[in-house]
Amino acid sequence: MRKRLLVWSLRALVLVFALLLWEWAGRIPISFAFPTATATGRALIDLLRSGELPDGWRSTGHALLLGYGMALVTGVPLGLLMGLVPPLGRIARVYLEVLIVMPMAALVPLVILTMGVNIRASATIVFIFSMPFVAINAYGGMRDVDPVLIEMARAFNARWFHIVRAIVLPGALPMILAGARYGLARAFIGLVVAELLLSPFGVGHLIMDTRSTFEFDKMFATVLSMLLVAVMLLSGAQHLESRVLRWRRRGEEGGLQ
Amino acid sequence: MIVSAPMRSQVRPLGIDVRNLSKAFGLVLALDDVSFSVRPGEFVSIVGPSGCGKTTLLKIIAGLIRPDQGVVEIGGLPINGPGPERAMVFQDFALMPWATVLRNAAFGLEVRGVPRKEREELARSVLAKVGLSGFENYYPHQLSGGMQQRVGLARALAVNPQILLMDEPFASVDEQTRRILQDDLLKVWADERKTVVFVTHSMDEAIYLSDRVFVLSPRPGRLVRVLDVNLPRPRSSKETRGSVLFAKLVEDLWEVLREMQ
Repeated sequence: MRKRLLVWSLRALVLVFALLLWEWAGRIPISFAFPTATATGRALIDLLRSGELPDGWRSTGHALLLGYGMALVTGVPLGLLMGLVPPLGRIARVYLEVLIVMPMAALVPLVILTMGVNIRASATIVFIFSMPFVAINAYGGMRDVDPVLIEMARAFNARWFHIVRAIVLPGALPMILAGARYGLARAFIGLVVAELLLSPFGVGHLIMDTRSTFEFDKMFATVLSMLLVAVMLLSGAQHLESRVLRWRRRGEEGGLQ
Repeated sequence: MIVSAPMRSQVRPLGIDVRNLSKAFGLVLALDDVSFSVRPGEFVSIVGPSGCGKTTLLKIIAGLIRPDQGVVEIGGLPINGPGPERAMVFQDFALMPWATVLRNAAFGLEVRGVPRKEREELARSVLAKVGLSGFENYYPHQLSGGMQQRVGLARALAVNPQILLMDEPFASVDEQTRRILQDDLLKVWADERKTVVFVTHSMDEAIYLSDRVFVLSPRPGRLVRVLDVNLPRPRSSKETRGSVLFAKLVEDLWEVLREMQ
């Protein structure tokens, strides 16, 4: 408990230090386009009050949800299937790895050309950034299942279906969830790329718009809102993950004799 | 046992006949023409240096591995894979870390399609038998190694098998806990009269627990010696381990193994 308090106060200290540094750099100023922390904070509140930021996030959030949702809905089953059908896993793994290594941003123009500039294009970019991670981790989870447990289930004469349901899926769950969290982080990268390149709507539009009018504090506030939303969603995912995987947590009382 | 469900009624123990078993993994001959019989209700141990194929032999009897040659008969019938009359206890416990003690203990029953209420009731009573009352809702990582193996034992006992197959079950617990577990196992065995095949690399443990000890040689695994353990039962750590006969039997067993080197 005391250790946690220490960690949290150190984290807060780092944040305060970073904000002070920012404020100082903005006041020098290091560039006419570089707003101070306080100006950015004020702009953030203004944007929230005027409804510009919530409006922008409505469409951007839509793209994120659509793309990431699709990544989960297709990526998890794909990874599971790859684990259940080993030849499929060996074949598909290579392609997923190529998709992960490839600079996805290079695909964006292609997506825009084929789909036009709309939310679906945005969601597609989010999807291609996120899905390979979700799938490859689900696949890794399937391969990670303790073979001793499978042997144990076989010794009790369990049928294949029961082994999958009772041993393989719960055994793969930690990595499936880790993959989903990682996939969310990747989805955000895709989202930013999409928003900046397809800017006639959403948060990306707000960024480009405020830039063109030299309202750098507002532009920065919008960027900051992206960071805040990402951190919030990711820590939410982490929280959910540790709740689902409660059995992994070491008991506070340690081992009992 | 107090439980009156039909599954709990005393079952007639079954004997095991192992005939001419051979098994190779690639070019390594793990077992070479191994034959022996285990009488119904008997407690036998299989010992031998590591790599002698004793775990392979046990897994063939469990129906987890198919032999290249030979046959295993249980109660006179050849086996064809795992069966409900056998249950196995594993060296590394093989507990599901995401499941509570209760669910782990009930796993064999769950596989067999016993309704939840009934299987949990049975699991509770078996957990009580192995001294784990009150730990039903713990997760495996919250228990010591010895307690985890009690769960493994409870899981095997819960399906009320005629034959218990134990693969170095106490190898990964400390000596003190190991002795307690040995005595508890003997108590359970005396109560339930199951046929037990117990794989171990501990001479002391094999002699203390068994009616007979089978010694396997390493690569290829052959049955080189059968040792009768005519120590009186019930056995207790103090009297049995302190006896001259016990010391002599352990020494004999060592001698057999030394000759093999």
